[in-house]
Amino acid sequence: MKKNSDKTNYLIDMSFKSATIKDPLKMNDTVAANYRGYVILDPDKDFVLNNETGKILENSCPTHAITYQNDNNDLKIHLDNGKCILCGNCQVKSPELIKITNKFDLAKKQRNDLIETFSMSVPFGKTYDELGQELKNKIDKIFGRSLAIREIDAGSCNGCEIEINALNNSVYDIERFGITFVASPRHADVLLVTGPASKNMEKALKIAYDSTPNPKIVIAVGACACSGGIFGNNYATTGGIDNIVPVNVYIPGCPPRPQALLYGILMAINKI
Amino acid sequence: MSHKEIIHKYYSKLEKFDSDIKKLENNNELHLILNDPDKLHDFCKFLKQNFDLRLLTIICYDERKLNHGFKIRHVFGSDVDDFFLFVILSIDESHPYFPSIYDVFPSSILYEREINDMFGLTAKENPNIKPLILHDFPNDVFPLRKDFNLSDDVKRNLKQFEFTPITGEGVCEIPVGPIHAGIIEPGHFRFSVLGETVINLETRLGYTHKGIEKLAESMPINDAVFLSERISGDESVANSIAFCQAIEKIAKLTIPQKAEQIRLLFAELERIYNHFGTLGGILTDVGFPYGASRLNILKEQIMQLSERLSGSRILFGVNQIGGVKINITDEMLIDIHFVLDDAFQIFEKIFDLLKSNSSVMDRLRNTGIIEKQIAKDLGLVGISSRCIGIETDTRHTHPYGYYPSINLKQKTPRETMERQVELQKRIGDVLSRFMNRVDDLRQSKDIIDSITALKDDGLSVFMGDELTPYSSGLGYTESHRGETLHWIMIGEHNSIFRYKIRTASFSNWSIIEHAVLNNIVADFPVINKSFDFSYSGNDL
Repeated sequence: MKKNSDKTNYLIDMSFKSATIKDPLKMNDTVAANYRGYVILDPDKDFVLNNETGKILENSCPTHAITYQNDNNDLKIHLDNGKCILCGNCQVKSPELIKITNKFDLAKKQRNDLIETFSMSVPFGKTYDELGQELKNKIDKIFGRSLAIREIDAGSCNGCEIEINALNNSVYDIERFGITFVASPRHADVLLVTGPASKNMEKALKIAYDSTPNPKIVIAVGACACSGGIFGNNYATTGGIDNIVPVNVYIPGCPPRPQALLYGILMAINKI
Repeated sequence: MSHKEIIHKYYSKLEKFDSDIKKLENNNELHLILNDPDKLHDFCKFLKQNFDLRLLTIICYDERKLNHGFKIRHVFGSDVDDFFLFVILSIDESHPYFPSIYDVFPSSILYEREINDMFGLTAKENPNIKPLILHDFPNDVFPLRKDFNLSDDVKRNLKQFEFTPITGEGVCEIPVGPIHAGIIEPGHFRFSVLGETVINLETRLGYTHKGIEKLAESMPINDAVFLSERISGDESVANSIAFCQAIEKIAKLTIPQKAEQIRLLFAELERIYNHFGTLGGILTDVGFPYGASRLNILKEQIMQLSERLSGSRILFGVNQIGGVKINITDEMLIDIHFVLDDAFQIFEKIFDLLKSNSSVMDRLRNTGIIEKQIAKDLGLVGISSRCIGIETDTRHTHPYGYYPSINLKQKTPRETMERQVELQKRIGDVLSRFMNRVDDLRQSKDIIDSITALKDDGLSVFMGDELTPYSSGLGYTESHRGETLHWIMIGEHNSIFRYKIRTASFSNWSIIEHAVLNNIVADFPVINKSFDFSYSGNDL
């Protein structure tokens, strides 16, 4: 008898305080300061952008996300977030130019919007507070209805799957926002597609897209899905989901953290 | 025993097969060159009779540009000694066949199918030479040959894949996949069922094939580290350490002790968060969401710790050739110990609860039993082999990095005895794998606990001159799935000539077809999850 009461005590012991975070989209303690998120040219530092530093920067990127352009001494750096795998190599090679922030809200509706151009004359980036305020209003408005998501892995390395799974755990708990993951594309409003779209998955992805009822939204998750990422476009991959099915929102990152996924899904739901 | 003595022990016996066999020694590796490929079969029989060796992988590479034809290396490893045996064959292009050794080492079937897909060399006697990785490829395109370009567009002709037909009164087929109901990777399973009972399962994988091995050949070696991390996202540390070790062996680099310690810490953290996740997954599949959510919270805590340490939640960007990129300070080390102490305290409570919950234990016990002989024949590694009592652990048999310096607390005789009794209960069912993961978790905690102070000799060393062209090295680690092998051959100007990856998933996947037999279809998810293989790590 005594043993049994011990066991019930365990249950009582385990009534920890809730692990769920209050507002996953707000910058809070759950995003570590050194999380590698958004790559920018460092506005706080004095740097010299010239042909030499530009080339070093360009060559430091294993996925060729950074390109340097010199048009009649108008020096520009193009940074393609859709290709960036957040390896941090550019910061190692050119610490005086590159700053990696822990911003994660990088999702964009157009593929081209993921490419950012930094020139010497334009001020950089938006502040987080501006975006945060904007978002807060949207969240209140939008989550009045529920949204059904079908996840499709089109050849990812399973890094993105770990983060999508994390959305369902008690910490991020996406279901409280009325978002559910469903078992079939026929029940889904949104297809969340990861991976560089391997050629072997091309047919399956098309079939899944066709069997999703209209109106449907496709979200490309991760650098691979946006552009092919480190795998690019080779004999076995197609170099991005948008070569197979139309994409509505691109969420870059390698892998995008759960908050970034939520931000992208929010942006997508805004389109309905 | 030193490496030299071990090699001598093996070679003195091997000599008896053929006294003028050419040999090369390199640390713990013995390379033998067989002049006549047809002798291979007899040689393997000789190996099987005299030694307890396991076929690790078969490596093929294309040296036609150097006029050496194709080369095939059969790699054998011991689970007792720190010893690897490479048997090298030369295959001429005009006669693209090599002998199959499937009747001696049945696990060779998969490797031979892979070589047939990627190089167009056929294992003559192999009874099952269906395409493995490439779907709907033309018969004359072989991606890993040197005359195939990475970005070549292949005209694919869609055709029906032929599954083995299972017929009989009342037998039904259930096709599952490649897109599954859960948030997991793609793969196709073809069940043949009689009522509820599975009488045959055939898997078809390869859906996530991304051409990693070919892609690496076009990458500078420093960038290829990032590629190796993305072989399988949840094994990033294990794979990148194996890659770096292979290059460091070729360059004869000794990396700083501190870097070895940091690699070990990250590797064990990776193991811990994955095992928490898998245990949670098993509980989800048996319908015990309470335990699953608790374990997933623990997984999340470790991932958040990983992020604080490395800037990436799944530990990307930790390793580089010659050491590590991420420093661990004393405060960080305290953070690790603090988080783990906390997490394991909760874990032990959850575990006690599970042990006393008969509805969970009943589902796990006697589900998905595998047989020891089949496990041996297929060359299983990691949890899948340990659950049936075959001790394979690269950290013990082929010590690497900082593992040899770890001093774990000695067990008392009573504890050893209790452990022996406990191990007798491991019959290769889901419960055995569950308990094995728990053991692994505790062991990882002990390993991390034993690191109380970090050395102070820098994070990395610089890799000096150009590496010798056409030299090769084998890197090996124990990921949370088991033994991981990366074999690299360097080309000219520090390029990669051939990058062969053999993850634990590749050598383990075929066991699933045996484990589900005579189980009901509804138990397939929990059996599959208890093995927890990576599809991406298998398909590359």
